[in-house]
Amino acid sequence: MRIVTFLLIGGLAFGAAAAEHFVAMDRSQAAMLADPKAHTAPTVVALWSMDCAYCKKNLALLAALARGNPRLRLMTIATEPVVEAAAELLDRLAVAGPRYAYGNEAPEALAHALDARWRGELPRTLLFDGHGGRVGVSGVIDEAAARQALGL
Amino acid sequence: MLDNIEATARPRRRGTPGWGTLLARRAVLAAMAVATTFAAAVELPPPGRSHDGATARSELGASAAFAPDGTLHAVVKRGEQVLLYRSADAGTSWGAPVVVNATPEPISADGENRPKIAFAADGVVLVSWTRPLARRFSGEIRLARGAGDGHFAAPITVHRDQSEITHRFESLMVASDGRVVVAWIDKRDLEAATAAGQDYRGTALYAAVSGDGGRTFQPERKVADHSCECCRIAAAADADGTPLFFWRQVFEANERDHALASLGPDGAPAAVERATFDHWRIDACPHHGPGLAVGADGTRHAVWFSERDGEGRVFYGRLRSGAVEGQRPLGGEGAAHADVAAAGDRVAVVWKEFDGERTRLRAEIVEDGGRRFHALELAASAGATDQPRLLTRNGDFFAFWHTEAEGLRGYALN
Repeated sequence: MRIVTFLLIGGLAFGAAAAEHFVAMDRSQAAMLADPKAHTAPTVVALWSMDCAYCKKNLALLAALARGNPRLRLMTIATEPVVEAAAELLDRLAVAGPRYAYGNEAPEALAHALDARWRGELPRTLLFDGHGGRVGVSGVIDEAAARQALGL
Repeated sequence: MLDNIEATARPRRRGTPGWGTLLARRAVLAAMAVATTFAAAVELPPPGRSHDGATARSELGASAAFAPDGTLHAVVKRGEQVLLYRSADAGTSWGAPVVVNATPEPISADGENRPKIAFAADGVVLVSWTRPLARRFSGEIRLARGAGDGHFAAPITVHRDQSEITHRFESLMVASDGRVVVAWIDKRDLEAATAAGQDYRGTALYAAVSGDGGRTFQPERKVADHSCECCRIAAAADADGTPLFFWRQVFEANERDHALASLGPDGAPAAVERATFDHWRIDACPHHGPGLAVGADGTRHAVWFSERDGEGRVFYGRLRSGAVEGQRPLGGEGAAHADVAAAGDRVAVVWKEFDGERTRLRAEIVEDGGRRFHALELAASAGATDQPRLLTRNGDFFAFWHTEAEGLRGYALN
């Protein structure tokens, strides 16, 4: 099951690269991305939106962290339907990794599937250590704390 | 007749079944020859979502207010226009809409953004909205005044500052002396500080006052430095009728609590007062603004979202000078976007709450000075939902909720 889930996420990632850089995420995909068992390597799932002034800061920090740590996987989820400017912003900040965006389901349902304890504040960052550990952090993240949560 | 044209000509789109119900109701109303003074509606897409390629943005942001004659009026975005709907039965059925801005322009109506509606002292309807501009986070505050016969005068921009920066998240109210007051989040001070290489915490709150029922506005004035960037601003008439604003403020160093300020008769803002004390330290956008209502005895009833002891909750409390009385969380862990209203010595709160499958509309009526609570479950919706609002009419409470599935609806709190 673990391998299947991992392959599914890998497939989603490939899809993200192929389909205009973004995947419109549904509830089951959201639950899969949020499942610690699905991540066998240190992984960051960064939730952001165009309307969030603090997200840019986080995305730049995470992009740099990923560049300096080849083991680290970085995924982004725009908590809104994707607009052209979203790709431009991620490109400008050199944010690598699969890109997801909210699909057509109710935003509340997608948010709940991603993180039931999350109340909508942005940025929200899910940190997986690759061994079943998961930490959810709201706001601008502290690099040292992020490294610790990721086991880097 | 106009209703009938609207009902039969508008295509029904998949994914908005509630609108079909509304259309059917309109057709029934038309058959009953319900008179309307509104002009002909134009063909516009059904409410809920604007489509952008394969995905859709939820733009359900709507507002409602009771007119002096007791009819419920609601404003909602359709494409690049604000539409005004009217209901004679407090939000069960609606007549054909009226276009507020004849010339289309971009309109914000997602999350904390929405068109607003109020009635001027002469009974004329006022509608405001934020018009986003090309630059990221930029916008200007627009206001249109009803011109009779279902028409509106061309919208004006409320503020004098014309720079392409943030003027967004406006709130609209009419004070007891008839002044029309608009307050909004404004980044001119942040921009100036950034240009000078200085730090500036959060953004600022500005307000403009109109002494002629919203036809023109005096130059805007700063109410507060250091407001939070993107939470809605609550407005209410204080016990003496003066405009009172309640918003999320970034206190040093980064505590996102709330503040209060009133506007004097000359439009000058009073000193900013800290109003909540949860000490939520975070550099983030909560996207979750507060609500405020002032009771007949002058008690300031508030609802707000904050984090305490690591847990984000929606709270109710009474704002006393320098303290909060009776603070308590509303609903369960998923309670969100509460609103509050007061009618005489009764107070009501409404909020929405996602239960894992559906979003529930829940409410409480508080009586006997807070000693008695009456909990209500008003509705549940399976799709995307807007934030609910609470209204009063002749001492009765009504929740107003725009959902993708059910459309615009009013719910009596009985």
